[in-house]
Amino acid sequence: MIKIVKRDQPSRAIFFFTPVLAIFLTLVAGGLIFFILGFKPFEALKFFFIVPIADKYGFSELLLKATPLCLIAIGLSFCFKSNNWNIGAEGQLTFGAIVSGGVALLFYEQEGFYILPIVILAGAIGGMLYASIPAILKTYFNTNEILVSLMLVYVSKLILDYLVVGPWSNPEGFNFPETRQFSDSAKLPLLFEGLRIHAGIFLALAAVVISWFVFYKTYLGFQMKVSGFSLKTAKYAGYKGKKMIILVFLISGACAGLAGVGEITGPIGQLHREISPDYGFTAIIVAFLGRLHPVGIIFASLVVAITYLGAETAQIFMQIPKYTGQVFQGMILFFLLASDYLLFFKFKFIGSKK
Amino acid sequence: MNTNLKISNVTKIYPGCVANDNVSLEFNSGKIYALLGENGAGKSTLVKILSGVIIPDEGEIYLNENNLKLNSPSDAKKNDIGMVFQHFNLFETLSVFENLIIDSDEQRESLREKIDTIMKKYNFSIDLDIPVLNLSAGQKQKVEIIRCLIRSPKVLIMDEPTSVLTEQETSELFLSLKKFSEEGILIIYITHKLKEVMQLCDEVAVMRRGKLVSVSEIKNENIESLANKMVGQNLKTIKKKIAKTSSDQLIKITNLNFTSEDPFETNLIDINFSVNRGECLGIAGISGNGQSELFQVLSGEIISEKNSIEFNKNYIGDLNPQERREYLMAFSPEDRLEQAAIPQMKIFENVALNNFKSSNFFNNGLINENKIKEHSKKIISDFSVNTDNIELKSQFLSGGNLQKLIIGRELITSPDLLICFNPTWGLDVGAINYIHETLIKINEQNKSIILISTDTDELLKLSDKISVIHRGKLSKIMNTEEVTSEKLGILMGGAN
Repeated sequence: MIKIVKRDQPSRAIFFFTPVLAIFLTLVAGGLIFFILGFKPFEALKFFFIVPIADKYGFSELLLKATPLCLIAIGLSFCFKSNNWNIGAEGQLTFGAIVSGGVALLFYEQEGFYILPIVILAGAIGGMLYASIPAILKTYFNTNEILVSLMLVYVSKLILDYLVVGPWSNPEGFNFPETRQFSDSAKLPLLFEGLRIHAGIFLALAAVVISWFVFYKTYLGFQMKVSGFSLKTAKYAGYKGKKMIILVFLISGACAGLAGVGEITGPIGQLHREISPDYGFTAIIVAFLGRLHPVGIIFASLVVAITYLGAETAQIFMQIPKYTGQVFQGMILFFLLASDYLLFFKFKFIGSKK
Repeated sequence: MNTNLKISNVTKIYPGCVANDNVSLEFNSGKIYALLGENGAGKSTLVKILSGVIIPDEGEIYLNENNLKLNSPSDAKKNDIGMVFQHFNLFETLSVFENLIIDSDEQRESLREKIDTIMKKYNFSIDLDIPVLNLSAGQKQKVEIIRCLIRSPKVLIMDEPTSVLTEQETSELFLSLKKFSEEGILIIYITHKLKEVMQLCDEVAVMRRGKLVSVSEIKNENIESLANKMVGQNLKTIKKKIAKTSSDQLIKITNLNFTSEDPFETNLIDINFSVNRGECLGIAGISGNGQSELFQVLSGEIISEKNSIEFNKNYIGDLNPQERREYLMAFSPEDRLEQAAIPQMKIFENVALNNFKSSNFFNNGLINENKIKEHSKKIISDFSVNTDNIELKSQFLSGGNLQKLIIGRELITSPDLLICFNPTWGLDVGAINYIHETLIKINEQNKSIILISTDTDELLKLSDKISVIHRGKLSKIMNTEEVTSEKLGILMGGAN
């Protein structure tokens, strides 16, 4: 007989094992879905997870997709660790892209080493501004940050829509909903000839290192940690809880904004309607799959990035819609949350022993 | 119609602790039984087994020779076992009647009639149509009791029912319980208060560390014999050295008010008092009368007007806790696990919560782990915290050890004033003695204490002066020698 018993304490080994288990279960369930659809499960999974990254170009695409995911998830980890549920990273990404895109357009057909840093900075500030709205509403007016940050996503997308169709649309663009191409000085340099991977990856890596340092080595990080566990304790210790909330939102917004910059000044090179395939939402999955730990987030962003690529190859070779990618992302989160049950409970096999 | 309840060889094991070790007991109606023991002795586990909240690992329960299988609280209700828990399970914003009808399957009208009859019979007077949050603790308890009586129970279990009651409410409760008993309801009364056992009960079962140590009739016992059985050793009594009264004023609170936006908090009304050096001011009261708010105002979690608090000739009313620590104040809040410490963090990280300037815990914004660890080791050895591993998560410390760690952390700055709120709540006798000795030592070093506590005995033992808080107002300050627990009880109930 199997009995479920509560663990005396959450298991540390299980803490790192459950993400792996979740991925494994996702593969099994994915195989099953392919089987039901009439494909050979192993072959289908190969198309989904192996073929896309089998060559140099594929690997570069993997890093390209993982970069924004990683960057946003790092920012979100600050919020989530301190129990602030910012789910509007997609909006912060979009608004960051709008601000930096606007600045980049100001420098249209201009050259100069100073342009790119200004463009990047503008993106970070844009993201921060946008994230400060739910933060301030939460701290001073007791609104729910989940609702506010989520609704602001759609607002930002409509602003972008208006800009690329209206005032910012390319005068020579035959009324296509897009802006002019940015000048080369406003674009992130490519790392290799013929591959799309660009310098944005360094922004993500820097974010990883800085977040690790801030969270584990500084007083600021300590205060965030305490505030996250218990606001009552933070108050008792004399920390400024409200400022801490606003700060984590700003950090999170800045990271999302930077991800937006990476997209429009990297592979895209202009503003148009579809600058992000919901990276801001998918990064929530990445943050949790990576256990809100900087190193974990790197691995998680790579795993989740594959689902984007796999969906594309699957569409080409197997004629199944690319939305399968989202099904996989959903399954990862689903199985992760389910296997987290093991953190607090364990199965006990009861034999004949009395 | 006699009721016979038998517990036979009940065992319940939790990881690292045997809560009930082969306990067998028998109860018969017509008598009131006391189940006596310290915190953690296993009495709560036993009654939770009787009420179906916990399922025992081994053992059986028989009611009138029927073997009961109690897998859930509703099983207990079906078998006519009623239970009133220490903490009320009432919906504060619903009316009394709505609370009572929730778990009843009767029609509104017939239920109302039934409740009216019960209230008349036992002289309860409660307005059924006002929200529960307007009731006093004693009235809330009556609602809980009525909820049990509706089902005409054979057995009524009361878990530490007097911890929130005034003396007057307690004697009312005892009268009702005696009446229930005369009517044939079997009453099991759980407590750690010896006086109440002597006053109310006919038989007493004493538990210690999960085991049943004795069952005896009250007439063969006295307070000392029961205390020794409960603790398992002869109690060392601490006598406070009467401090020389100094006239050197340390802290003065003037016209302090606090109005809360939260309807569940208590407003503080015109608080005035002062404490001299080397003195301990005790603040008594029934919980929920503004103690928590007063603590927060004193610690700086709630900011007040600058001039309302004068400490060591500085006005500090507008400073936050961290800034007040720099003036050598220290704070030990009531809630050890949710406020004073973070259970998921390591011991040394919890020590860093008291970040005073000269500690150098954080240099230029960076964590100075070595310094914190060095400090933590000192606290652990100076305050006999029973571990040598400062990397241990503090959730693995027992309540007593955690409290020692917290008090140690607060005292390591050798503050002029320690403000503590229920510092021995839920601790075992050994830890209580240690904390009490520590507090007395502080006074002897000419440092001051403000002790907010709901434990009257503790206050009478440790304080030089006592005031009572009731609905956010302080009574006048009295010298402890002039005060008796009866007098405190009357003030705690709101009379003058």
